[in-house]
Amino acid sequence: MKLEISVHEQACRGCQMCVDVCPTKVFEFDDEKRLCVVKHEDDCIACLSCAYICPSGAITHTGYHVVKNFYRDLAFCDKMEKFI
Amino acid sequence: MDRMSEISESRASLQETMTFLGAIASGLEEAIGESANSISYLAGKRLGTRLSKGIEKTDDIEQALCSVRKVLLDNGCLWQFEAFKTHDRPAMVMSADDGQDINLVFRDCMIRQTLFKFGHHQKGSLCNMMFGFFSGALQNVMGHDSTLEILHAGENACYKRLVIHSAAAKEVL
Repeated sequence: MKLEISVHEQACRGCQMCVDVCPTKVFEFDDEKRLCVVKHEDDCIACLSCAYICPSGAITHTGYHVVKNFYRDLAFCDKMEKFI
Repeated sequence: MDRMSEISESRASLQETMTFLGAIASGLEEAIGESANSISYLAGKRLGTRLSKGIEKTDDIEQALCSVRKVLLDNGCLWQFEAFKTHDRPAMVMSADDGQDINLVFRDCMIRQTLFKFGHHQKGSLCNMMFGFFSGALQNVMGHDSTLEILHAGENACYKRLVIHSAAAKEVL
């Protein structure tokens, strides 16, 4: 499955935090629209820093490798299983 | 014991081990400051050297990385990494002032998960252990010193620059 990134145009405030945080320069600021846009999708390493840092939660990723969750508390999960 | 409960048990023990390791690293950083990085680095280097003993030698970086990956797999370490080339980089392996460099993406990482569990910052002494491991293993494979610089520590992946210091680059420096 190919990794895809989308920036919700109505949610993006053009703060450029995603542009700054991305280590592989996936995003660019579109001067006309005053929004951040995905320019080099293939360069995304799926670190998800952009999605975490975006103040309006405008960035979503699909088709990426989710890291193995070693730190999940299994005993706690067992107890919570009936509620979730 | 069925396979699933066996996996759950070994996973739980791995979590406990990492919990202790995280606590030790955090304590070291607080007690001795930046020297904690050197200690972790040396511990990682010793481990990398030991686990890669007798490994086949090569001068090719990509081949050497395959060997390091094999060392990790053979020892049951889930530290998945891959070489990565961005659109503006002409080649995967490039010559730099300090040797040859290649960018790596690290995905599944026990260290990152441990740090997150306790809310510790990334790029600390535990990350230096990984740097040491690579340095030790690559010393055995390629016969050169190396540096693993963290370019970006993310929530789901980290981006690093591996430099293999060649003898010629050392002379220039």
